[in-house]
Amino acid sequence: MRKSKLVRSVIAWLLLSPLIVLTLFPFAVMFLTAVKPRPEVLSPTWWPSEFRWSNFAEMWVATGFGRALLNSLYVSVLATVGAIIVAIPAAYAMSRFRFAGYGAMRQFLLISQMISSIVLVLGLFRLIAAWGLIESTTAVGVVYMAFNVAFNVWMLQSYFDTIPRDLEEAAWMEGAGRWLTLRKVFLPLCLPAIAVTAIFTFINAWNEFIIALTILRSQENYTLPIQVFALVAGRYTVEWHHVMAAALLATLPVAVLFAWLQRYLVRGLALGAVK
Amino acid sequence: MKLARWTAGLLAGLSMLAMAAQAYAGEVRVTVAEYSSKTGPYFEEVKKEFEAANPGTTLKFEVVPWDVLLQKLTTDITAGTNADLSIIGTRWLIDFVQQGVAEPLDEYMTPDFKGRFIETFLSPSIMEGKTYGLPIAASARAMYYNKELFEKAGIANPPSTWTELQEDARKIKAAGAFGYGIQGKEIETDVYYYYAMWSFGTEILNKDGSSGLSTPGALEAAKLYKSMIDEGLTQPGVTSMNREDVMALFKQGKVGMMITAPFMMNQIKEEAPSLKYGVAAIPAGPTGARGTYGVTDSIIMFKNSKNKEEAWKLLDFLFSTEQRAKFTQNEGLLPVNKEEAKMDYYTKDAGLAAFTALLPEARFAPVIPGWEEIAQITSDAVQKIYLGQGEPEATLKDAAAKANGVLKK
Amino acid sequence: MYSRALPYLLILPSLFLAAVVIFWPVYDLVQISTHDVSRFGQLRDFIGLANFAALADDPDFMAALWRTGLWTLSVVAGALVLSIPVAMILNSDFYGRSVARVIILLPWAVSLTMTAVVWRWALNGESGMLNSALMGLGIIDQNIQWLASASTAFPMQVLIGVLVTVPFTVTIFLGGLSSIPDDLYEAAALEGASGWQQFRTITLPLLKPFINIAIVLNMIYVFNSFPIIWVMTQGGPANSTDILVTYLYKLAFRVGKLGEASAVSLVMFAILLVFTMIYVRLAMREREA
Repeated sequence: MRKSKLVRSVIAWLLLSPLIVLTLFPFAVMFLTAVKPRPEVLSPTWWPSEFRWSNFAEMWVATGFGRALLNSLYVSVLATVGAIIVAIPAAYAMSRFRFAGYGAMRQFLLISQMISSIVLVLGLFRLIAAWGLIESTTAVGVVYMAFNVAFNVWMLQSYFDTIPRDLEEAAWMEGAGRWLTLRKVFLPLCLPAIAVTAIFTFINAWNEFIIALTILRSQENYTLPIQVFALVAGRYTVEWHHVMAAALLATLPVAVLFAWLQRYLVRGLALGAVK
Repeated sequence: MKLARWTAGLLAGLSMLAMAAQAYAGEVRVTVAEYSSKTGPYFEEVKKEFEAANPGTTLKFEVVPWDVLLQKLTTDITAGTNADLSIIGTRWLIDFVQQGVAEPLDEYMTPDFKGRFIETFLSPSIMEGKTYGLPIAASARAMYYNKELFEKAGIANPPSTWTELQEDARKIKAAGAFGYGIQGKEIETDVYYYYAMWSFGTEILNKDGSSGLSTPGALEAAKLYKSMIDEGLTQPGVTSMNREDVMALFKQGKVGMMITAPFMMNQIKEEAPSLKYGVAAIPAGPTGARGTYGVTDSIIMFKNSKNKEEAWKLLDFLFSTEQRAKFTQNEGLLPVNKEEAKMDYYTKDAGLAAFTALLPEARFAPVIPGWEEIAQITSDAVQKIYLGQGEPEATLKDAAAKANGVLKK
Repeated sequence: MYSRALPYLLILPSLFLAAVVIFWPVYDLVQISTHDVSRFGQLRDFIGLANFAALADDPDFMAALWRTGLWTLSVVAGALVLSIPVAMILNSDFYGRSVARVIILLPWAVSLTMTAVVWRWALNGESGMLNSALMGLGIIDQNIQWLASASTAFPMQVLIGVLVTVPFTVTIFLGGLSSIPDDLYEAAALEGASGWQQFRTITLPLLKPFINIAIVLNMIYVFNSFPIIWVMTQGGPANSTDILVTYLYKLAFRVGKLGEASAVSLVMFAILLVFTMIYVRLAMREREA
């Protein structure tokens, strides 16, 4: 028998601890700055003289946080759902059919990942402007969708390839059509991969900055990253406690998503035993 | 080539369609730079008041962070989706004028309107006899000093020359603080160096229009700063400190002297009310020459605006004494309006008086295309010198050559 | 009949989306880079490759090019070396595993821009919390001016780059590890294989496709990554931490040379293209062998 689980846990945590410290460091900075009373913000002491929780409430009002949160959610959900819906058929086709242009498609997907949004921002903006879609959060969502589709297809195809065909073939034998098989047999098996891919897209969209900055222009349409950035960028005074409070709150939804999908992920991964 | 023309035409056509849909009659869109957290609310108020007084006209203010303003304007103008009015740095204005983007305002201006402005601040926006922008924000620089540190170091008066400043910095260092704060990062790194350069009799551009960086005065200034850094008379890590970082150190009472804008007074009032400080002139050089940096931001009207009449009405409103006073005092800037400048707020305040007293010595960024690039070249050069990565003389010569290359274009 | 057209119909939507949103702007870039272009994007005369020639003559561009290589390699390699053991630990069964997973993934929940802002704030020489923490722990006795020169700023940027790349990489590897059946290890253990041998003969080969994906995608993301360097140093002091993207941003939006900036982006695109082609080719040959 191997070492007891307790011993293994201690070792695991010890090994992870340097990384965990480094990872948590910026969060500690954010948190402690966010709860400092304003006069103490600029001094490098770690511990505030008192925890000023009201900073969060003040920040919420002063920065219009709630509205930006809703915008961010809308854009990210749109991008995530859209990208998955578009990517599943493509990934399925590439995994289950042999067709001319397969290699070209795979290359194309990879190439479309190679261009940074900063590089594209000018041309993209002209495109969006030509369609009269400036200010449209939906347009931003669709652009994110486009930027993530390639990755989605790529990831999903890799996973689809690992699912044995026998399962589907067995279902066909029993007289189920392709569509039914897809829905009842294939997709349920792929849920974990779909979940993981969806997280990727969601996070990318949640944190994207430059495109949103260019396309959105009035505060009522701002997403969180630009809303927070606007508090820092080139102002004569920066209210750091508000900035840090906002940054911290902006991470919460994604952190919750992680925690929630964690369980889902693990349960889904158990299905890997099918192979 | 044909294809290019075709696509360009297609784009233009589409964007016109888009524009037509966007430009509601009577809507005036204004891009404004965000100076502080008070900027947005101020323009909200303007919107309310102006719309109440002018039924049928709606205002739309787009508040943009300073750091990305130029990028946003570039993308906007490229796609033809710019607003009707915009705040820009006056140093960019020449580009806007040369590219035919900015509308001359002279035909709208009555003599009375023109008479509202203080000459010094309006003149940078006048090019080839035409007024292309109105100074919406103005500021100059002066030297702040920490009275407590001066007392501790046994210094009676703020230094009036750079030699005295160096002496005082030594005394402050002995008293356990940083003598003179030098900004060495990001926007205005070059300007912080010009303060010394101007005192040694060198201008940004020589009389013949070439770069002043290869003159002896420029070298003196660089050597002065470098020697202060080497001697530890400044804060450590000069090249990691932008203006806000040095200002933060001053507010914490760690720096004896620094040169910056009037808005730091507002900030000290709010963030470090117990700090005892004074404002003095920028030190002079051996010949008594000195210079401060004058900055204005202009509000311009775009040539392609569809609502010029309404836009002008808004400008007229914004430049009334009452509105000006509200804006200027909110942001801690200097008055651009003559009537406004007579208000007690400005005349009774010793700090603000020190700034206005320096105005006759104010230099504005030269009106040349490619100014941003020259500023960048200069900043890079002084950073190299501060870091000791380049001999001052060779580095400045090199920078002057690069700057001259830009100037020739 | 139906099944022949079907795959094309299925890939059509994603093809279309990517083509419109990504390749149209690229076409635009080619246009701009080969023309004399005004400060605000109006095309004038066709000038061929003059913008590219101007770049080749610019020492700052060449320096940024090499630094981009260094930046990309160190961040990707660092993240890879760190992520494999971390993923293996997180894949094993221990108390608090889900908490540990969430913590490790947490940097991902913050936008890069904000991470960079926070780090810049923490690295401030005089009022930064890193210096005060290190002082408090007695590790240093004098403030370090982290961002004052490239010799400390750039390694710090690489470190932060690694930190923010780890979550993504770990996630990919976790997916890969979970696809390796446990009975393989059990069989190996029965035959007396040591942990290291198991790692070399089972884990590594089976993880290979995932490692390949991680390398290719990370290379692309890190190569193009803008916020960390921009927010912390803007490529300074004196261009000494510039990589191609920050250099490009300055060219385009500070100085207003849209033509040269577009040329830089095409060069970047070409580099990535060549790299990926070679890499994919190599990875595929390995699989066939």
